[in-house]
Amino acid sequence: MSEIFIAEDLISLTTEILVALIPIFIIFIIFQIFVFKLSKKSFLDILKGFLLTFVGLILFLHGVQIGFMPAGKIIGQTIGNSPHRWLLIPIGFLLGFVVTVVEPAVRILCSEVEESTNGYIKEKQMLYTLSLGVAAAVSLAMAKIVFDISLVYILIPGYIIAFILAFIAGPKFTSLSFDSGGVATGPMTVTFILSISIGAATIMEGRDAILHGFGLVSIVALAPIIAVLIFGIIFQKKGGDLERRK
Amino acid sequence: MISRLKNISKEVILTIGPIILIVTILQIIIIKMPWIVFYKFLIGSAMVMMGLTILLQGLKISLLPIGEMIGSALSEKGSVTLLLLLGFVIGFAITIAEPDVLVLSSHIDIVSYGQIDKTILIAMIGIGVGFFILISFLRIILKIPIIYILLGGYLTILILSFFTNRNYIPVGFDAGGVTTGPITVPFIMALGLGFTTVLGGKSKGLESFGLIGLASIGPIITVLILGVIYR
Repeated sequence: MSEIFIAEDLISLTTEILVALIPIFIIFIIFQIFVFKLSKKSFLDILKGFLLTFVGLILFLHGVQIGFMPAGKIIGQTIGNSPHRWLLIPIGFLLGFVVTVVEPAVRILCSEVEESTNGYIKEKQMLYTLSLGVAAAVSLAMAKIVFDISLVYILIPGYIIAFILAFIAGPKFTSLSFDSGGVATGPMTVTFILSISIGAATIMEGRDAILHGFGLVSIVALAPIIAVLIFGIIFQKKGGDLERRK
Repeated sequence: MISRLKNISKEVILTIGPIILIVTILQIIIIKMPWIVFYKFLIGSAMVMMGLTILLQGLKISLLPIGEMIGSALSEKGSVTLLLLLGFVIGFAITIAEPDVLVLSSHIDIVSYGQIDKTILIAMIGIGVGFFILISFLRIILKIPIIYILLGGYLTILILSFFTNRNYIPVGFDAGGVTTGPITVPFIMALGLGFTTVLGGKSKGLESFGLIGLASIGPIITVLILGVIYR
């Protein structure tokens, strides 16, 4: 049973995380010495926070490696290898929707939009539109594997649409929308949904694991950009003005 | 602290619960993966939940206050060169600690059989974010509308994609998407807010908007450049 709990490379994982955290830690120490000069108690509190971050990262990434990645890959491989590989598309839709609807960062963005449009755009409207947008994006990413579509043919029209909309919507909504591109690509997208896509691309004949497997995150990132811009244009058509953020 | 922890774990369960449910249903009706893999998935999910809870709590008392403190320290110092330099260094340092970046890089390392090396990839993503934070700061100083930088950035990407190793195109675009994770976003926001305050605060708030969007262009460019080198 012990192999279940300990990945072969737990030690290398721990070193990796240590290396990842050291630069920002050193920056903190330098600032502490020359600028912050925090009291001993606040300094120790922050050290405690670093320790928690470190432990949390180890648990999180280890769990992802032993659980999410292999399970996602097997799901992708099983469906990709079956005669019903089209099932990847509705399953992608379902996962994309569910993952976005519950994502805390998405809910924060939606309430921000409601606030800055003086409640004209309702949080719930925005939340469901965005989640449907991401769901469609994930399905599109799965369809890309099933029907062998090049990523470029999805991204170029996607960004052209985004830029046309951005010119119509104006600078305020442009910043807001491009900033929101990242909120839909939360940890679950990269750890789990991407694993399914990689699994499917690995198993299907004539598909390249890298060329077809990756790209999902970037398609998903387009969905909120376009959704926010469309809402922005509708809002401004009605004569509204985006309130300045505090 | 206990009530905060409760809030965080509620959030975490809400995020991961649906995935566990969907996988369980799929497992029973179509997938039928070996049970050992399914058990590992369940144990892994428990670890992910615990890990995320601890991680988010740790961030709240370490990196987030540090981001805010650095932001306001920047606003007191007032040297533009120092600000640009710090923007680059901090952008780099915070990006390479981002869990989403670490996960994507290990995916790529595994799938490419180590051909696209994890460490180099993470470093390139970090440099990309650092560089574009520097550019965003310059943009704010020079008052260039964001759309020009976005257009310029994506045009550069388009041109690079003709010359790069084609494997690096999906990798690069995905790298752009993962830089905006739970660690980087609040940190960069705090940094930008501090920076705009230095500039007199006339355009405070709105101008720090757009920082995140620009930050995700950087890694696409640096990864595509890596692909030009490894063509």
